[in-house]
Amino acid sequence: MEFAALFLAVTIVMLAAWFGSRALALALFAVTFIASVATYLHHATDVLKLSF
Amino acid sequence: MNRSLAMTVNALGLYAVALVLAVAFAAQLWLKELPCPLCLLQRIQFAMLAIGPILNIRFGPRPSHYAVSLLAAVAGAAFAMRQILLHIMPGDPGYGSALFGYHYYTWAFIGFAVALVLIALMLLFDGQFRDDGAPISSSAFARTAVWLVIALTALNVLSTLLECGFAACPDNPVEYELLKRTP
Repeated sequence: MEFAALFLAVTIVMLAAWFGSRALALALFAVTFIASVATYLHHATDVLKLSF
Repeated sequence: MNRSLAMTVNALGLYAVALVLAVAFAAQLWLKELPCPLCLLQRIQFAMLAIGPILNIRFGPRPSHYAVSLLAAVAGAAFAMRQILLHIMPGDPGYGSALFGYHYYTWAFIGFAVALVLIALMLLFDGQFRDDGAPISSSAFARTAVWLVIALTALNVLSTLLECGFAACPDNPVEYELLKRTP
Protein backbone atom coordinates (compact mmCIF):
# COMPACT_ATOMS: atom_id res chain seq x y z
CA MET A 1 0.00 0.00 0.00
CA GLU A 2 2.77 2.46 0.94
CA PHE A 3 4.52 1.86 -2.39
CA ALA A 4 1.38 2.58 -4.42
CA ALA A 5 0.98 5.76 -2.35
CA LEU A 6 4.59 6.75 -3.12
CA PHE A 7 4.09 6.17 -6.87
CA LEU A 8 0.91 8.27 -6.64
CA ALA A 9 2.83 11.00 -4.82
CA VAL A 10 5.55 11.00 -7.52
CA THR A 11 2.88 11.24 -10.23
CA ILE A 12 1.36 14.23 -8.42
CA VAL A 13 4.81 15.88 -8.12
CA MET A 14 5.35 15.40 -11.87
CA LEU A 15 1.96 16.95 -12.66
CA ALA A 16 2.72 19.83 -10.26
CA ALA A 17 6.09 20.34 -12.01
CA TRP A 18 4.39 20.42 -15.42
CA PHE A 19 1.27 22.45 -14.61
CA GLY A 20 1.91 24.17 -11.26
CA SER A 21 4.48 26.49 -9.77
CA ARG A 22 8.14 25.70 -9.19
CA ALA A 23 7.84 26.24 -5.44
CA LEU A 24 4.92 23.83 -5.15
CA ALA A 25 6.72 21.13 -7.18
CA LEU A 26 9.92 21.47 -5.13
CA ALA A 27 7.98 21.35 -1.84
CA LEU A 28 6.05 18.25 -2.94
CA PHE A 29 9.30 16.66 -4.12
CA ALA A 30 10.86 17.25 -0.68
CA VAL A 31 7.90 15.63 1.09
CA THR A 32 7.87 12.63 -1.29
CA PHE A 33 11.63 12.19 -1.08
CA ILE A 34 11.56 12.17 2.73
CA ALA A 35 8.64 9.69 2.66
CA SER A 36 10.54 7.34 0.32
CA VAL A 37 13.69 7.43 2.48
CA ALA A 38 11.55 6.86 5.61
CA THR A 39 9.91 3.86 3.90
CA TYR A 40 13.36 2.49 3.06
CA LEU A 41 14.60 2.95 6.64
CA HIS A 42 11.44 1.27 7.96
CA HIS A 43 12.07 -1.80 5.76
CA ALA A 44 15.82 -1.73 6.41
CA THR A 45 15.16 -2.42 10.08
CA ASP A 46 13.08 -5.56 9.28
CA VAL A 47 14.43 -8.84 10.59
CA LEU A 48 16.21 -10.56 7.70
CA LYS A 49 15.13 -14.15 7.12
CA LEU A 50 18.45 -15.49 5.92
CA SER A 51 19.55 -19.13 6.12
CA PHE A 52 23.06 -20.47 5.51
CA MET B 1 25.66 24.52 -24.31
CA ASN B 2 22.73 26.91 -24.69
CA ARG B 3 19.33 26.61 -22.99
CA SER B 4 17.59 25.03 -25.97
CA LEU B 5 20.18 22.26 -26.34
CA ALA B 6 20.13 21.60 -22.58
CA MET B 7 16.34 21.17 -22.70
CA THR B 8 16.71 18.67 -25.56
CA VAL B 9 19.30 16.72 -23.55
CA ASN B 10 16.89 16.76 -20.58
CA ALA B 11 14.16 15.34 -22.84
CA LEU B 12 16.57 12.55 -23.85
CA GLY B 13 17.08 11.88 -20.13
CA LEU B 14 13.32 11.53 -19.73
CA TYR B 15 13.23 8.99 -22.58
CA ALA B 16 15.99 7.06 -20.79
CA VAL B 17 13.94 7.00 -17.56
CA ALA B 18 10.89 5.92 -19.56
CA LEU B 19 12.93 3.08 -21.07
CA VAL B 20 14.00 1.87 -17.61
CA LEU B 21 10.41 1.96 -16.33
CA ALA B 22 9.17 0.18 -19.47
CA VAL B 23 11.81 -2.58 -19.21
CA ALA B 24 10.89 -3.09 -15.53
CA PHE B 25 7.24 -3.40 -16.56
CA ALA B 26 8.13 -5.86 -19.33
CA ALA B 27 9.99 -8.09 -16.85
CA GLN B 28 7.02 -7.90 -14.50
CA LEU B 29 4.40 -8.73 -17.12
CA TRP B 30 6.16 -11.14 -19.48
CA LEU B 31 8.53 -12.92 -17.10
CA LYS B 32 5.91 -12.74 -14.32
CA GLU B 33 8.52 -11.50 -11.84
CA LEU B 34 6.80 -9.32 -9.29
CA PRO B 35 9.00 -6.56 -7.82
CA CYS B 36 9.95 -6.89 -4.15
CA PRO B 37 9.63 -3.88 -1.77
CA LEU B 38 13.26 -2.82 -2.33
CA CYS B 39 12.81 -3.23 -6.09
CA LEU B 40 9.73 -0.97 -5.93
CA LEU B 41 11.70 1.65 -3.98
CA GLN B 42 14.36 1.65 -6.71
CA ARG B 43 11.66 2.06 -9.35
CA ILE B 44 10.23 4.98 -7.36
CA GLN B 45 13.67 6.65 -7.33
CA PHE B 46 13.98 6.17 -11.11
CA ALA B 47 10.62 7.95 -11.47
CA MET B 48 11.79 10.71 -9.07
CA LEU B 49 14.90 11.10 -11.23
CA ALA B 50 12.54 12.43 -13.94
CA ILE B 51 11.25 15.36 -11.86
CA GLY B 52 14.41 17.46 -12.44
CA PRO B 53 14.23 17.18 -16.25
CA ILE B 54 10.49 17.95 -16.20
CA LEU B 55 11.21 21.15 -14.22
CA ASN B 56 14.07 22.00 -16.63
CA ILE B 57 11.78 21.62 -19.66
CA ARG B 58 8.93 23.57 -18.04
CA PHE B 59 10.85 26.44 -16.39
CA GLY B 60 14.24 26.31 -18.11
CA PRO B 61 17.45 24.72 -16.75
CA ARG B 62 18.43 25.66 -13.17
CA PRO B 63 20.98 24.09 -10.81
CA SER B 64 18.23 23.41 -8.25
CA HIS B 65 16.40 21.23 -10.80
CA TYR B 66 19.54 19.16 -11.34
CA ALA B 67 19.91 18.92 -7.53
CA VAL B 68 16.46 17.29 -7.35
CA SER B 69 17.63 14.54 -9.71
CA LEU B 70 20.97 14.20 -7.89
CA LEU B 71 19.12 13.53 -4.61
CA ALA B 72 16.95 10.88 -6.26
CA ALA B 73 20.00 9.23 -7.88
CA VAL B 74 21.95 9.10 -4.60
CA ALA B 75 18.97 7.57 -2.75
CA GLY B 76 18.34 5.09 -5.58
CA ALA B 77 22.00 4.03 -5.63
CA ALA B 78 21.90 3.51 -1.84
CA PHE B 79 18.73 1.37 -2.08
CA ALA B 80 20.23 -0.73 -4.91
CA MET B 81 23.50 -1.17 -3.02
CA ARG B 82 21.56 -2.41 0.03
CA GLN B 83 19.95 -5.10 -2.14
CA ILE B 84 23.29 -6.07 -3.71
CA LEU B 85 24.79 -6.47 -0.22
CA LEU B 86 21.81 -8.61 0.91
CA HIS B 87 22.81 -11.15 -1.76
CA ILE B 88 26.60 -10.79 -1.60
CA MET B 89 27.29 -14.10 0.22
CA PRO B 90 28.83 -16.84 -1.95
CA GLY B 91 26.18 -19.33 -3.06
CA ASP B 92 23.31 -16.84 -2.77
CA PRO B 93 21.35 -17.07 -6.05
CA GLY B 94 20.13 -13.45 -5.74
CA TYR B 95 16.60 -12.17 -6.15
CA GLY B 96 14.83 -12.71 -9.47
CA SER B 97 16.44 -13.56 -12.78
CA ALA B 98 19.58 -12.04 -14.24
CA LEU B 99 19.81 -9.90 -17.36
CA PHE B 100 23.15 -10.15 -19.23
CA GLY B 101 24.69 -11.69 -16.10
CA TYR B 102 23.54 -9.04 -13.60
CA HIS B 103 20.40 -8.94 -11.47
CA TYR B 104 18.02 -6.01 -11.89
CA TYR B 105 19.21 -4.31 -8.69
CA THR B 106 22.81 -4.42 -9.93
CA TRP B 107 21.69 -2.83 -13.19
CA ALA B 108 19.74 -0.29 -11.11
CA PHE B 109 22.92 0.63 -9.21
CA ILE B 110 24.81 1.03 -12.48
CA GLY B 111 21.93 3.15 -13.85
CA PHE B 112 21.90 5.48 -10.84
CA ALA B 113 25.73 5.78 -10.92
CA VAL B 114 25.60 6.69 -14.63
CA ALA B 115 22.84 9.23 -13.89
CA LEU B 116 25.00 10.85 -11.18
CA VAL B 117 27.92 11.24 -13.58
CA LEU B 118 25.73 12.56 -16.43
CA ILE B 119 23.99 15.12 -14.18
CA ALA B 120 27.38 16.29 -12.88
CA LEU B 121 28.56 16.66 -16.50
CA MET B 122 25.43 18.68 -17.36
CA LEU B 123 26.14 21.02 -14.44
CA LEU B 124 29.52 21.86 -16.00
CA PHE B 125 27.82 23.84 -18.79
CA ASP B 126 27.05 27.29 -17.36
CA GLY B 127 25.74 28.64 -20.65
CA GLN B 128 22.41 26.86 -20.21
CA PHE B 129 21.65 28.93 -17.06
CA ARG B 130 22.02 32.32 -18.82
CA ASP B 131 18.67 33.96 -19.52
CA ASP B 132 18.72 35.01 -23.19
CA GLY B 133 15.38 36.80 -22.87
CA ALA B 134 13.59 34.37 -25.16
CA PRO B 135 10.38 32.81 -23.79
CA ILE B 136 10.73 29.20 -22.60
CA SER B 137 8.88 26.87 -24.94
CA SER B 138 9.09 23.10 -25.07
CA SER B 139 9.21 21.06 -28.27
CA ALA B 140 6.79 18.25 -29.14
CA PHE B 141 9.73 15.87 -28.60
CA ALA B 142 10.12 17.12 -25.00
CA ARG B 143 6.37 17.23 -24.28
CA THR B 144 6.02 13.62 -25.46
CA ALA B 145 8.86 12.58 -23.14
CA VAL B 146 7.18 14.29 -20.17
CA TRP B 147 3.83 12.63 -20.78
CA LEU B 148 5.43 9.23 -21.43
CA VAL B 149 7.15 9.30 -18.04
CA ILE B 150 4.02 10.55 -16.25
CA ALA B 151 1.93 7.78 -17.88
CA LEU B 152 4.43 5.05 -16.92
CA THR B 153 4.57 6.32 -13.33
CA ALA B 154 0.76 6.40 -13.13
CA LEU B 155 0.66 2.81 -14.47
CA ASN B 156 2.98 1.85 -11.62
CA VAL B 157 0.41 3.18 -9.12
CA LEU B 158 -2.09 0.70 -10.53
CA SER B 159 0.25 -2.29 -10.81
CA THR B 160 1.66 -1.74 -7.30
CA LEU B 161 -1.83 -1.49 -5.85
CA LEU B 162 -2.76 -4.76 -7.61
CA GLU B 163 0.44 -6.40 -6.37
CA CYS B 164 0.43 -5.29 -2.74
CA GLY B 165 -3.26 -4.63 -2.13
CA PHE B 166 -4.16 -2.42 0.81
CA ALA B 167 -1.80 -4.09 3.30
CA ALA B 168 2.00 -4.16 3.61
CA CYS B 169 3.68 -5.54 0.48
CA PRO B 170 5.01 -9.11 0.94
CA ASP B 171 8.83 -9.55 1.10
CA ASN B 172 8.75 -12.06 -1.74
CA PRO B 173 5.59 -11.41 -3.77
CA VAL B 174 4.50 -14.26 -6.08
CA GLU B 175 0.97 -13.19 -7.01
CA TYR B 176 -1.13 -10.03 -7.23
CA GLU B 177 -2.89 -9.60 -3.88
CA LEU B 178 -5.96 -7.93 -5.39
CA LEU B 179 -6.32 -10.62 -8.09
CA LYS B 180 -6.22 -13.57 -5.69
CA ARG B 181 -9.19 -15.89 -6.01
CA THR B 182 -10.77 -16.76 -2.68
CA PRO B 183 -11.25 -20.56 -2.24
